[in-house]
Amino acid sequence: MKRYYCLLFLIFLSLSTIKAQQITFAPQWTAQSQFAGYYAALENGYYAEAGLDVTIKHPTKSYNSMAMLQEGSADIISSELIQAIMTINGGTDIVHLMQTTQHSTLVLLSQNDDVDELADLAGKRIGTWKIGFSEIPHMLDKKHNLGIEWIKFISSLNLYISGAIDATLAKTYNELIIFSMAGVIPNSILYFSDYGFDIPEDGLYASEEFFREHPDLCRKFTEASRRGWDWVRNNRESALEIVMEYARKDNVATNKYIQKWMLDEILKVQEDTEGGKPSYHLQKDDFDYLVGLLLEYSYISEPIEYDRFMGGVL
Amino acid sequence: MKNQKIKLRDSISGRLTTRVLIVSALIFIITFTALVRMSANRVREEAAKHAHSELSSAIHQINAVLESVEIAVNNMAWLVPYRLDAPDYMYGITELLLQNNDFISGSAIAFEPDYYASKGHYFSPYSYKDKDGKIQSKQLGNDTYDYHYMDWYQIPKLLDKPYWSEPYYDNGGGEMMMTTFSKPLYDSSGNLYAIITADLSLEWLTELVGQIKAFDSSYNLMVSRNASFIVHPDRNLILNETIFSSTYGLEEESLKKMQDDMVNSRAGEVLRKQNGSKFFVFYSPVETTGWSVAIVCSRDELYSGVRNMRKILIVVGLIALLFMISMSHNGIRKVISPIERFSGVARKIAGGEFNAILPAIQTKDELKELHDSFEYLQKSLMRYIEELKSTTAKKERIESELRIAHTIQMGMIPKIFPPFPERNDLNLYAKLVPAKEVGGDLYDFFIENEKLFFIIGDVSGKGVPASLVMAVTCRLFRSVASHFTKPAEIMTALNDSLSDGNESNMFCTAFLGVLDLQTGILEYCNAGHNAPLIICSDGTVSELQVVPNLPLGLFEGFRFEGQNITLSKGNMIYMYTDGVNEADDKDKNEYGDEKLTSLLKKLWSHSPIEIVNQTFDDVKAHADGAEQSDDITIMCLKYK
Repeated sequence: MKRYYCLLFLIFLSLSTIKAQQITFAPQWTAQSQFAGYYAALENGYYAEAGLDVTIKHPTKSYNSMAMLQEGSADIISSELIQAIMTINGGTDIVHLMQTTQHSTLVLLSQNDDVDELADLAGKRIGTWKIGFSEIPHMLDKKHNLGIEWIKFISSLNLYISGAIDATLAKTYNELIIFSMAGVIPNSILYFSDYGFDIPEDGLYASEEFFREHPDLCRKFTEASRRGWDWVRNNRESALEIVMEYARKDNVATNKYIQKWMLDEILKVQEDTEGGKPSYHLQKDDFDYLVGLLLEYSYISEPIEYDRFMGGVL
Repeated sequence: MKNQKIKLRDSISGRLTTRVLIVSALIFIITFTALVRMSANRVREEAAKHAHSELSSAIHQINAVLESVEIAVNNMAWLVPYRLDAPDYMYGITELLLQNNDFISGSAIAFEPDYYASKGHYFSPYSYKDKDGKIQSKQLGNDTYDYHYMDWYQIPKLLDKPYWSEPYYDNGGGEMMMTTFSKPLYDSSGNLYAIITADLSLEWLTELVGQIKAFDSSYNLMVSRNASFIVHPDRNLILNETIFSSTYGLEEESLKKMQDDMVNSRAGEVLRKQNGSKFFVFYSPVETTGWSVAIVCSRDELYSGVRNMRKILIVVGLIALLFMISMSHNGIRKVISPIERFSGVARKIAGGEFNAILPAIQTKDELKELHDSFEYLQKSLMRYIEELKSTTAKKERIESELRIAHTIQMGMIPKIFPPFPERNDLNLYAKLVPAKEVGGDLYDFFIENEKLFFIIGDVSGKGVPASLVMAVTCRLFRSVASHFTKPAEIMTALNDSLSDGNESNMFCTAFLGVLDLQTGILEYCNAGHNAPLIICSDGTVSELQVVPNLPLGLFEGFRFEGQNITLSKGNMIYMYTDGVNEADDKDKNEYGDEKLTSLLKKLWSHSPIEIVNQTFDDVKAHADGAEQSDDITIMCLKYK
């Protein structure tokens, strides 16, 4: 009987190793070109080749990827660096797996044509995402003592068009083109990177627990994702078709021109230097600079170590 | 002259027809273009009027629905503050709202965060119609649906006024496109505590806009305030594409105008070109929501009537032009065909057939005038020819008589030179060339008793009268000279004879000399004639001193004064009439005395015949082809 149980155990063990490992991946937003590399890795079979059975599960507009990670409905997520640091500071242990974008895409679009310098924003009603990305604008507000009235939004376009806000935060790869396609031409565009806030953004994260338990899966997922992004960089038109298919499935109201713009912008900020090959690596200096800022403006209470954040770099 | 066949393009009918064709074609093209343009403009205006009327009607219906929803919300909103103490009563209000208005598919009264401590952070009673049309209610807000950040909540809250949301897909309910009317609710202190809403399914809108049938092949579309398509025949575009994204990359002024107008709630129309075809877009805004409804119509369809009219006009115009060319050419040919016949007649007349029959002209136009002119020409020519024949005959007779007179006159003067071949003491040569057949110059000489009597004269006037006087003078000289020995006496006698009965007042200048050939004494008398020249044997030339006296024939009884000199041997007397020194060239310059003197100085050593002939040659050279206007006579005698 004992031998029989041992045999059953061995069979179960062998089956479980042969069977592809299931991973749920949650990008940080609804289907769009920002996640083209992951769609490509899945559609081209890169995840399957790595023995991974990946399911891509998009968050909703009010239930973000970090929440999904924390609640266990996603194994690996895409998120912004600043959000990841804040999450760790909040007590959730997560590990950085890969850095996709290296530069800030944060801009401020204004209705008024008198925003020539930061002081012109004083006291204005400015839209900011409900789900985040607000730390850096707030730091700018505090640094220059602007007294901005921040209005949280899920989607800024109609708020902006209706005149409910004077200006809005935007991402170069997203709102900028969405506004343009709605026939809205902002009277001024302010780039945060011009004011000392060129902070890297998108990256992949896993809970520390998952990472400890499945370091190999994390590595495989990261490598396959990188292959996906490399393929996208060389096959933009095909990648765009894949993105549009995902957007349709996800009932995202969008179009090819918006997604093409987004893809081009994302691929641009993935380059460490302009025209250079992406390293997909988070530089220690960039990380430490951001941690320093967050400490200075009291967003985090304790310094966070680069090595710990990287989870013993893959 | 060879009668050549005239080419069509060179013929009058050809040229006139071409001109008529060009002018007619130009008029046709201008009229045609203006007509087509005007028609096209008219069609466009009518189409725009029709399209905007359709749009206006549709917008009116849309507004009526929107207004009914607003009224329904307003009619219920007043209830809310009265029942704030009973949160669950709100469900009754939202249900009532749905019952009162069929268009409303859902309604919520969404409260500010944590408004009721008992209800938690979210409290938004919501009623909706399920698939069976039954009204159901539930609480809408939760962590995954934070309504406080929805446009329908946030925008009216920030704007402090009611708001129609941009259309959106309702993913949670009926999977259809919706718009939501939101009205902020304030407490007595003016603080916002809730937003009451009414959801309006836009299925009816799609149907309404889709039903507009302004033109046979036109289609309609509608865009929201944020430029997204709400209604479009291609359903894939709805809420996915905007009027900017669907035309991305196109640089077109009319497109930009249309986009700008549509997102800024302005009505208008543009003519656009896309994928090689042109089409009109007529658009008008729904002011309440900022949406824009448009009718798109192919220009080809709109202008099909104009195009058909254009085709018909071109065909009719071309036929008319061809007909006109044919008519014009034949008509002109018919009208001007007599001209060809006149041309033939003109040739016959030129050939001498003056009474050639003229073409018959029945009209009373320019051709009739031409006919009459030809007739007059024929008659004039025949009359003229008759006169010419008569005149020619007369002239020939006169000429014949003149030729005879010339012969007679020339017979009256000595013409045989040398006249006295037997004498060695005298060499004489004379020559008379009348300007016409007969002339008034004269010369004569004879020797009697070793004395040479000679005369040279010039009768006033020319021609026959002068020649008659010349003849009389010549005869008188011979007869009178035989009775007198002194030149003055001879001259006085001549004058008396000529003056007697000289009613025509003709006179004659003359120089008369009597040379004693033995002594060399020359007696002479001048009657108003040019003084002769003495050519001495040493080569000097001098004018003979003369008393002018009067010409012969003027005053009867006048006593002429004579003179005399003694000629040295070898001297010559050179006599001439004024035909020599007054000979004109073409520019009326006279030959002159100086030139004559100068010539004679060169010729002093020559014989009289040579001197006379060379003088004639020199005068002829001076005249250089100019017609001889006066008789020329020169007589030169050398005493040896």
